[in-house]
Amino acid sequence: MLLVAVALIAIVCLFFVARFTRDDPITYADAEEHFKYGSTGGERESGIPYWVWKVLPKMFPEYLPGKIYTPGTEYASLGFLYEPGKDLPIGVSRRNTQGLDRVFLNCAICHAGSVRETPQSRHTIYAGMPSNTVDLEAFERFIFACASDQRFNVARLMCEMEAIGGKYDLINRLLMRYYAIPLMRERLIMLNSHFRFVNWEPEQGPGRTDTFNPAKTLLEFPLEQLETRELVGLCDFPSIWLQGPRKAQHLHAHWDGNNSMMEERNKSAAFGTGTFPPTIDLKQIARIEQWLLYKEPPKYPFSFNEQLSAQGEKLYAQYCANCHGRNGRDFTGPHVGNVVPINQIGTDRHRLDSYTEELAAAQNTLYAGYPWRFSHFRKTFGYVNLPLDGIWLRAPYLHNGSVPTLRDLLNPSAERPTVFYRGFDVFDQAKVGFVSDVSRFEDDGRSRDDPGNPRRYFRFETQPKPSGATPRDRNEGNSNVGHEGPAYGTMLSPTEKDAIIEYLKTF
Amino acid sequence: MLAILIAFGAFFTWTKFFREEKEVFANEEEHFKYGSLGAEGDRGIPYYLWLVLPRVFSDLMPGPGGYKSFGVVWEEGHEIPVGFSKKVVGFARITNNCAVCHTATYRLSEDEVPHVVAGGPGQTNNLQNMLRFLFKAAHDPRFNSDIIMNEIRLVNANNYGNGGLSFMDRQIYRYLLIPLTKKALLKQEKQFTWMERYVADGKPKPHWGPGRDDAMNLTKYFMTSMPEDNTVGPTDFPSIWNLGIRSGTDKTGKQMLLNWTGDTPAVRSVLIDSALGLGAPARPWFLQRMADLDRYLSNLPVPPWPFAETNPINRQMADEGQKIYARDCASCHEPRAEFTNKVVPIAEIGTDPERMHSWAKVAAEEANRRVKQLGIDRPPMVERDPYGYLSPPLDGIWLRAPYLHNGSAPTLRDLFNSPNERPQTFHRGYDVFDPINVGFKEPPLRQVGPNGELKQPYFLFDTRQQGNGNQGHTYGTQLPNEDKDKLIEYLKTL
Repeated sequence: MLLVAVALIAIVCLFFVARFTRDDPITYADAEEHFKYGSTGGERESGIPYWVWKVLPKMFPEYLPGKIYTPGTEYASLGFLYEPGKDLPIGVSRRNTQGLDRVFLNCAICHAGSVRETPQSRHTIYAGMPSNTVDLEAFERFIFACASDQRFNVARLMCEMEAIGGKYDLINRLLMRYYAIPLMRERLIMLNSHFRFVNWEPEQGPGRTDTFNPAKTLLEFPLEQLETRELVGLCDFPSIWLQGPRKAQHLHAHWDGNNSMMEERNKSAAFGTGTFPPTIDLKQIARIEQWLLYKEPPKYPFSFNEQLSAQGEKLYAQYCANCHGRNGRDFTGPHVGNVVPINQIGTDRHRLDSYTEELAAAQNTLYAGYPWRFSHFRKTFGYVNLPLDGIWLRAPYLHNGSVPTLRDLLNPSAERPTVFYRGFDVFDQAKVGFVSDVSRFEDDGRSRDDPGNPRRYFRFETQPKPSGATPRDRNEGNSNVGHEGPAYGTMLSPTEKDAIIEYLKTF
Repeated sequence: MLAILIAFGAFFTWTKFFREEKEVFANEEEHFKYGSLGAEGDRGIPYYLWLVLPRVFSDLMPGPGGYKSFGVVWEEGHEIPVGFSKKVVGFARITNNCAVCHTATYRLSEDEVPHVVAGGPGQTNNLQNMLRFLFKAAHDPRFNSDIIMNEIRLVNANNYGNGGLSFMDRQIYRYLLIPLTKKALLKQEKQFTWMERYVADGKPKPHWGPGRDDAMNLTKYFMTSMPEDNTVGPTDFPSIWNLGIRSGTDKTGKQMLLNWTGDTPAVRSVLIDSALGLGAPARPWFLQRMADLDRYLSNLPVPPWPFAETNPINRQMADEGQKIYARDCASCHEPRAEFTNKVVPIAEIGTDPERMHSWAKVAAEEANRRVKQLGIDRPPMVERDPYGYLSPPLDGIWLRAPYLHNGSAPTLRDLFNSPNERPQTFHRGYDVFDPINVGFKEPPLRQVGPNGELKQPYFLFDTRQQGNGNQGHTYGTQLPNEDKDKLIEYLKTL
């Protein structure tokens, strides 16, 4: 009798242990699928319960840019990319942890993009290119707005989830009710307060983020005491393919060249996917890391002019190669990876100033106690010369994404567009970049000319405003000046510029 | 059975609390900057607790940047600032060493990373702020295991197989290290209550500010049981390179002295007394370390004028300046000269007398007795009431700004102006160098926060406060301007 009782208790205990120590990510055999949908470990500490993820757009469509609930592609109006047959968008991963299915973001949310030849053609997804559609800030605002809404409560969420098919067993119902939902709300409200700096800088829009102010808030810097000049950290997502040759050359990366170690940069970026030193899934990250070493940028898929390109090659060698490498695969050149002092390069300095010596020092404490503790961050005083592999997919250009096309970049800043739109994925083959003069989305059957159409592309204005209380009011950080003058090719003839562009398509 | 349990318990206790890991350094400079003085037992802060304190108590920090906001020097890629040591004694513990006050930085503009000079005066470091932060944190209701472990859990914990603090280690933190550290800090605070006294006219004692500490009051209240008094003796951190020229006797065979009022006759004694103040216990290991530091610092070279590219020294002017130096300065400042490393009576030197009053014969007597009781054999401190200030050699004087014992004259040029022409207030803690006037520049105002409020984040030094007077040492103030220029040019070469 006693024996039976003991055995029973043991079985029950084992069941709970097995259940609450469970940690099963959904895995993918294919490396690219793993990159797009695999987990970095973010669900463990920051995960959103799967059904909560599914139900939020239904409960709070008014907080989405699209203002409507679209079952199956719930987050599409934030620029999240959905592939046919997939339940979650690219860049969102799923893992069962502690017996509960949770989702969170992964690397691909910022590093995968979409291209179309015409508005009628199908989307082609390229992994490793900088996202051109995802509006991360809009996602944050959406999720923070949900958490602060009175409808975000246990009773309401539980019944709404059930209505769309969310089924939980008794244990998970209790877990959701007394732990997961209250905790999620608490965390999101805390995170919203931590991210208050986004209200002080201009909107990010699709394809951009602020890289290092989140690091300051992670390290609990008192934000109100930061210098005003470091509050604007806006920059474009980079492409992350061909890390191998970069690693071999110890190239400094990040726009200001503040770190020469690939693995450290990856772990630093992985904080953005909700991971912390104890919770990061090192095996899964290592797999992505390995894949990115030799992942090639895609070949230019449209027609191009061989003869013009050959002319461009010569001009490229003369004007660009010293700083940007011999071509799209050979990154050698006397100044590749060097930091060009800000006064010389002349581009918008906000991103540079947002990275400070104080931050570099404090980042040395990240991953403390692990053999891979950060030790390669440094303060620089300019922007770094980067290789141009796959440059045709890396529009808009300059670190802040202030120049829509390559052709515009080869013009002096006075001739570059001062207003354009970001987030459209139709390719501009003439100027190389994305079509940037369309202000409204028309895929949902609404006209781009309909002023009631809520799906707007992001209006990018490059001119600062003379007055205003905050950097946001003054539109700081979006300037399109710099990288110009005789040495930068902006004084070449139009045909010569066209030739360089043609050659860059081969990268 | 019991024996096995006891043995296991003993082994566990030894491993988790006492096992020492040997420190390894690439060279002596690294050892100076990051090596332990052995104070882990008394002053060690558990590493992960130390790490998260600026995050948990960010509102108590002077600014953004974690510990760097106290002005400590933090070299690229290093886990801890200069002057900090991380040593495993059972668990990793953070203590301070000499370099925390004796490492200087300088740069020509904000568009470069500061140059770090070991042995230079740590003119950016606000030690008092750091102490006050620790005490304030210890008093704060948030200094509890729940809140601190919540933060540590995100920093280092072996929950998903990445390694790090085990369940057992975390329980040790939760139930022992965090509460014990809190207790220890609150106890330590009692040794510093004299710092927070309100002096005669009802005002608090002036702050030390960056680059200074109240050296002899610190010594007095660590090493003697004397009652608290109202003296205010903040003094500039000295350079501690090239100590060899300060050691022994002068040309005429007279004993040379150290410390601003000539309180100690030997380099070794200064080192030992300072290290004891950092909480180091008097073990044989400690005395060996002191001997090693003595040797290292005695021979540590003086940093030469580094601005040869942008601001080269004018040789001709310097040569002429040397003649003025030989005529007007050398007898007191040339190494081993008649009055060098000797005390100049206060009536003669005329500088602020407060620092002098902070030490006394009785203090020296008691301190000497204490050190002897600890079993340390060192040349005793001078048992005499201070009566003036020491005239030190001027090696590397370009990097020893601000000047005078209390750091009340920001540049050499100011020092050669008569006291009423010296700036009444200025800011300390900024490390952009002024190669013309020789000293650190006055920091510009900053726009701070989303609304761009204008602020001066650096420490306001007010010469009108008790102990901060900039009077005295009027030597050279009557020279014609071109002679001052020549003299300054020569001083750059020292």
